[in-house]
Amino acid sequence: MLRTIIKREILEYLKSAKFLIGLGITLALAVGSTLINVQDYKGRLQDYQAAVQEMKSDGFYQHLYRPPQVLSTLIQGKDRKLGNSITVTYLNIPSTTSGYMGEGTSQHYRLVSGFAAVDFAFIVRVVLSLMVVFIAYNAVSEEKSSGTLKLTLSNRVPRDQLLLGKFLGGWFVIMGSLAVAALASLILVLSHSFIAFASGEWTRLLAFIGLSALTLTVFYAISLFVSVLVDRPSISLMILLQAWVFLIVIYPNLGVIAAENLTRLPSQEHLAQQKDAAFQPYAAEQKKVQEAFSQGVQKGEVSKELSLRNIDLWAKRADLEHQVDEEFGRKLTAQTNLARAISGLSPAVLFDQAAERYGRTGLAEYERFMREVYRYWQQHVERSKLMYTDREAYKKAPAIEFRVPVETTAEAFAATWLAWLLPAFFSLAFFALGYTAFLKKDVR
Amino acid sequence: MKTIIRKELLDHLRSVQFAVLLAASIVLFAANGLVFVQQYTRLNTDHHKAVAENDQQPSTMMTRPYRAPSSLLFMAEGGDKSSPKGYWLGPKLTRSPMPAGTANFKMPDIPELDWVFIIKIIFSLYVILLGFEAVSGEKERGTLRLVLSNPVGRVKLLTAKYLAIISSAAIPLLAGLLISLIVIGVFLPAVLGPQNLARIVFFFILALAYLSLFAFLSLLFSALIPRSSLVLLVLLAFWIFFAFFIPDTSSIAAQKFSKVPSEYEMAKLLGPTIQGEVWKRIAKIQDRIQKGELKTEQAVREEADRAYEEGQVSVRKLYDDYDNAMQERAALAQRISRASPAALFQYAAEAVSETGPTAESRFLRDVRNYSRTYDDYILKKVGKVVGTSPWSFSTGATLNGKYIDLQSPFPQQYSGDKSDFPKFSESRPSLIDGLHNGLWDIAGLLVWNIILAGLAFSVFLRTDVR
Repeated sequence: MLRTIIKREILEYLKSAKFLIGLGITLALAVGSTLINVQDYKGRLQDYQAAVQEMKSDGFYQHLYRPPQVLSTLIQGKDRKLGNSITVTYLNIPSTTSGYMGEGTSQHYRLVSGFAAVDFAFIVRVVLSLMVVFIAYNAVSEEKSSGTLKLTLSNRVPRDQLLLGKFLGGWFVIMGSLAVAALASLILVLSHSFIAFASGEWTRLLAFIGLSALTLTVFYAISLFVSVLVDRPSISLMILLQAWVFLIVIYPNLGVIAAENLTRLPSQEHLAQQKDAAFQPYAAEQKKVQEAFSQGVQKGEVSKELSLRNIDLWAKRADLEHQVDEEFGRKLTAQTNLARAISGLSPAVLFDQAAERYGRTGLAEYERFMREVYRYWQQHVERSKLMYTDREAYKKAPAIEFRVPVETTAEAFAATWLAWLLPAFFSLAFFALGYTAFLKKDVR
Repeated sequence: MKTIIRKELLDHLRSVQFAVLLAASIVLFAANGLVFVQQYTRLNTDHHKAVAENDQQPSTMMTRPYRAPSSLLFMAEGGDKSSPKGYWLGPKLTRSPMPAGTANFKMPDIPELDWVFIIKIIFSLYVILLGFEAVSGEKERGTLRLVLSNPVGRVKLLTAKYLAIISSAAIPLLAGLLISLIVIGVFLPAVLGPQNLARIVFFFILALAYLSLFAFLSLLFSALIPRSSLVLLVLLAFWIFFAFFIPDTSSIAAQKFSKVPSEYEMAKLLGPTIQGEVWKRIAKIQDRIQKGELKTEQAVREEADRAYEEGQVSVRKLYDDYDNAMQERAALAQRISRASPAALFQYAAEAVSETGPTAESRFLRDVRNYSRTYDDYILKKVGKVVGTSPWSFSTGATLNGKYIDLQSPFPQQYSGDKSDFPKFSESRPSLIDGLHNGLWDIAGLLVWNIILAGLAFSVFLRTDVR
């Protein structure tokens, strides 16, 4: 029985114009956005590889580059926006990355600000979720208004089986559309020779597709619920569209606004004062050492101890300033987390956050990069000291390795459990609500 | 005609869409006003403090022209949050942008809640929701046949439907704008001066022109496709395409199509330019001493200064080329995104509000102009103008057995009276200038309206109403 209902529902959907139009639009947008993002990735990858080869560090300036993530072709996240290079010296660790032109000069912001990502994650969050609404809004209400529901139920069809059949039929169609769109995008991505996925990336990709399926299921369960409750299809479509606009467009925005106004961030001037204050205990000594050092340079003789102390103090200053920047960074993260917590009930927000994590295109990856920059800087300071104490050892010292440790998939899952649990809960809850409502429904 | 409009309007006013739009409009515009009041107060205080500090310490080494926060940020924010709030300006237009300050780069990429956003995204969607059933719905119910069997012209009927859609969008819009203005007016009455009010009125007209094209689009597809749910699906696809897809992919597309070198390609030139133009010339000084070209200590020092300065000119040119390249790329992205009426509306609104990239470029132009005055002042006080450099050198040369210590020249501080220090002031373009800047965007909006209106009417006139 159930199978017959499911089969009938699927066939019904596949024949419908709304499905064909919806799938056509989804595919067109998925292909278009993937093509554009692959080209963007190619450009960024070429620039990155060239930079590593051509813009090498010298003894003083240490240039470190942030590679573009291959999954940014599907989940762009913040990958384009977060800058691609950072230059440290033992005098300074910049607080953020910048464009290749370097801190203070780079106008990277001009090219990226104001442009949101249109990628496969966008297709799922906006286009497919909308398609889900269109598929499900009249699943029950249409049959009721056209009178077929009465006829169907006058046969020996239990209500629970009918609803389950309807649910599964539509669900298979939605999952099919997701699979088709994902495959189309994936084939496009992999058909380019410069793109290769490592095994970890395949797992992440699967996790992302799974999460997409779950997120769409939430929208589907809500749509079905409304379709059971409201008898007129046009009204149920309107209600669902309002809910969609609220969950996807308005609510995430309000979360950001609320967080920005609930927490205050210190000004740049305040940070500068904090940095000065942190170094205050050493300032007098540094001044003295600095003077002695300059005099020594002019005379042509600087003692080892003096040179060492000079570097030590500069590095101390950079380190203390870095701590202030770190503290500020933590405040930014806290504000961001608050925004996400406020709008966390929207499946779209949870989805976005987890998708970035799986794509390694979000803040978590950026913060891993910055931690590695700090570790690198510490080693660089130690090596710079060798220049004054043991020149031979300095020359022989191997280059410091800069490798950002890759987050394991397990770690990524551990950080995103809520993005699975909450949608799973909402899906079940709305399905259960729809189910009970349908059992009690007056089908006349 | 009046009767039809009235009937249509009443139909809309009773609909779910209208009620939700009105509620959303009130909430969003009120939030917009409240956020602006907080933000603007803070930005303005910071700005005045910064300017006062700069004025207190006039310096011939470095000054800081600041950009005043726009009092129309609530209307069109235009990316002002991430653009520099001022420049550190040294002699010879050596400058570096100050960080914007207020933006949290870790936040999700969510557009600012300004009037442009509310209208561009939310109102346009609701115009679609109000209009998609206009023809197809009546066809489905069979009422279109009945209506047209009365002595009512098709043109009149469609015009009435159009006017009803626009009015039912305009009512919540007006309510929202007023609430936003009331909130702003209560806390910051100075913002609502006659200049700004004129801009606001013009903005309202622009918003109506933008919403009007969505009304025509809805009517067009409503007449074209007989099933309302399909009409809505197609219209929503257009909405996604116009509001998100075209504007958001234009930046990447611009990089693909632009012949302007990328940031990396410019950055790559920086090292060799400094090496070749600056350090090599400095290194040549010792050779020239040995060849007997430089005979006195003063000649050696002057040569070092000159070599350094001339080298800097090439480096500065590279920075300028880079600036121009990045601006050109951003401008190309804008041109591409103009395929979408949503972008046309956004740019027209930015032009009217004097925010956005054009305003940022204008500020940079002001800084350039001021830089000349600043250099003249330095020349008058100090006697020579030396550009600030992000790097320095310390080397030496031997002349007739005597070691000469050579240091890179630095801008010098004038220690005398600086009460005549020139103050930086921004140019304040009028609304007419703004309209002039946004002329093509406004024209674009009108063209969209004319084309879609033409199509909607011609399709409706031929549609089979049975």
